[in-house]
Amino acid sequence: MKAVVKNGIAVFSPQGFLDANSSNAFMCLEDIEAATNLKADMILISLKKVVFFNRNGLDIFIKLFSKIRKKNQAIVGFCDYDRKKYEAVRRFFQDELNFSLFKTLEIAYLFSSSFKNQNKNILIYSSDKSQRSAMAIELHDAGHNTTVAQSIEDFEEKKDNRAAYDYIIDSTFLGHMGQKVAARVTGNAIIYTISSFLDVEIGENFNIEYHNNSLNVGFRLFIFDAYKVLSMNIHALNFFSKLASSGAEYNASICFVGMKFDKTPIAFKETMEDAGILFYKQMDDILKNKELLKELGANTASNVKNKRVINKETILELPKFIDATVATLEMMTNAKATKEALNVRNLTIEDKKDKIASSIGYYGDMDGMVILVFPKEIAKKACELLIGESTDDLEMILDTLAELVNIVGGKIKTLLADENISVNITLPRTYQDIDSLMEVVEGRKGVQVDLLFKSDKFLFFLTR
Amino acid sequence: MITKDNIDSFIEKIPPSPKILNETLSLLKIGDLVKAAKVAEKDLALKSYLKSIVNKPIYGFRNEVSDIGQIFGILGVSLSQQSVYNYMVTLLSPNKWTLFNLNRALFYELQATLSKRWEAILMHLNIHDDNIYAAITLLPASIIVTEALFAQKKEEVELLKETKALDYNTILMRLCGVGLFDICEEIAKKWEMDKSVSAVVQAASGIKPSENEEINTLGKWMHLLLFYKLSKPEFINAGLNDFVDFQVEYVSDIYDDFALLMEIE
Repeated sequence: MKAVVKNGIAVFSPQGFLDANSSNAFMCLEDIEAATNLKADMILISLKKVVFFNRNGLDIFIKLFSKIRKKNQAIVGFCDYDRKKYEAVRRFFQDELNFSLFKTLEIAYLFSSSFKNQNKNILIYSSDKSQRSAMAIELHDAGHNTTVAQSIEDFEEKKDNRAAYDYIIDSTFLGHMGQKVAARVTGNAIIYTISSFLDVEIGENFNIEYHNNSLNVGFRLFIFDAYKVLSMNIHALNFFSKLASSGAEYNASICFVGMKFDKTPIAFKETMEDAGILFYKQMDDILKNKELLKELGANTASNVKNKRVINKETILELPKFIDATVATLEMMTNAKATKEALNVRNLTIEDKKDKIASSIGYYGDMDGMVILVFPKEIAKKACELLIGESTDDLEMILDTLAELVNIVGGKIKTLLADENISVNITLPRTYQDIDSLMEVVEGRKGVQVDLLFKSDKFLFFLTR
Repeated sequence: MITKDNIDSFIEKIPPSPKILNETLSLLKIGDLVKAAKVAEKDLALKSYLKSIVNKPIYGFRNEVSDIGQIFGILGVSLSQQSVYNYMVTLLSPNKWTLFNLNRALFYELQATLSKRWEAILMHLNIHDDNIYAAITLLPASIIVTEALFAQKKEEVELLKETKALDYNTILMRLCGVGLFDICEEIAKKWEMDKSVSAVVQAASGIKPSENEEINTLGKWMHLLLFYKLSKPEFINAGLNDFVDFQVEYVSDIYDDFALLMEIE
């Protein structure tokens, strides 16, 4: 069984009956390996479509959780259950509850550092006082407004005022929380979340390969969400200084938000500032300041360090890239694609009106970036399959487009793996107009393929 | 990817029920087991299928049963009729399964255990209608339809399912406006099965509850039975556990009875 990954959370959704025999079948060795390698903040088992489970059935997943945590520090646990199932899990595991329980997937998203939705009003209740506090701290740190009910009576009373809260959390338990450096994309900035004591391990927990490829794909603004950092030592200081120096070659900006220096030498701040790192008190100081965003490079991507050319290796694999894209889009739009033209040149888009775009980078044995330019109508059509309805909400269309380009990236990865070429893919990026895309690909030569879906022109561009 | 044309073409290719099977079914319907067995003997594939089904452990016979007359005699009218329909469904199954990790033996196993469990459910509910007995035979047809429509798009669908937890029925509905169980209904029509058969199977989809209370209750039992079977390791390994969405709430009011009947602890 494969997991569905969204907002940094990988969810497995078994259906029906979970006992020792079936759980073993749900999770084969390959699935466990794949789950462990997922770059997810959380790995959860949804109990939504499970009608029966026993202790032996859940034990298999607990073993899986332990393996995952050892390898990548992700938060692990169960989600999507009712009160009866919650009480059963608590009863089964009593003192050995070292995993988390989230009543719904939406509640789990609130605790994921990759979730971009902030400033929610949240009512919290747990009969365990330390749990109430732990949840309130985590959510407050993630930028939400929390109200903690101190007793069940207090909770019932507050809960009646449903309109006052975006989320109401009960039947939830926080086990070991994650330590890895999670990444999320907000607009065109990449936000890394760091916490507790930063020491030499930051080098292991931070995915430098991913960061470098994000630079290559065109991201220029990197924000470290450091609200939860207690202190850092000289090794971490060196790490961030080096990161800033290497980013300077790309004109990248590195910012720290919410970092306090009461337990960290203030001299460290000066050293980091000398390396070009900027400090801000709050995330909104950056994200809600359009001028500053522009200045920091969130809208631009010029001065690419290496304008690399398409190489023979990429050309040889080109048909696979095109096939992957066409097959995915044909599936999503239910329309047949025809290839109109193929040229090696700078990206050329004649009619920029009503077009949106998305891109995804790949790196490993080969590297490069695939850019897809859609007429809005095709994008909307493709989104219908994923969200089940027609929408004009541009943000929703762009989000779904990111999922779509992720599917394309996944397919490319699979096709290349068939030839023993191992690549990883970056987070997808979307562009709500062509001008912002052109800033990223300016001066880059690549292979441009014009495709026709019925009467709509769609464009595929592969560059390095 | 998958269009309404693909679906129409699939339905068009469903063969009408063969003459021998029609005759066997007609004789079974009037309760003439001896004549029905004589007619059924002429179809060697049917004979071989019935032998393989009735000698499965779930039927619990110590010695091999090989004579068709004997098989019909042991099964009785309802189960004999059910077995012939099961055989008809196998006529639609592919020679080689690619979307699901299934083979002929495993598919027969699914049919046999569904039938036997369905019999226990109907006895528990005190229902003795031959058509309702036969309804379970149409359920596995939804698996065959999924295989037929999606086998060529296996990789794309897998990637889609990794991005969004969509089951095959939802994908088909969004692409073509037709669901897997609607296609099963078309199969039932083509084979002139009683209307109640497709009504129960539609209700068993879990997303189209029937207004008829009895049919709806039967749909719930069948839905739960399907997922009880699809939670078995061999069918999880075959990739069948999530081929359609399990509607937990739909079956919540019968779960305790079901657990008691199936001796789930």
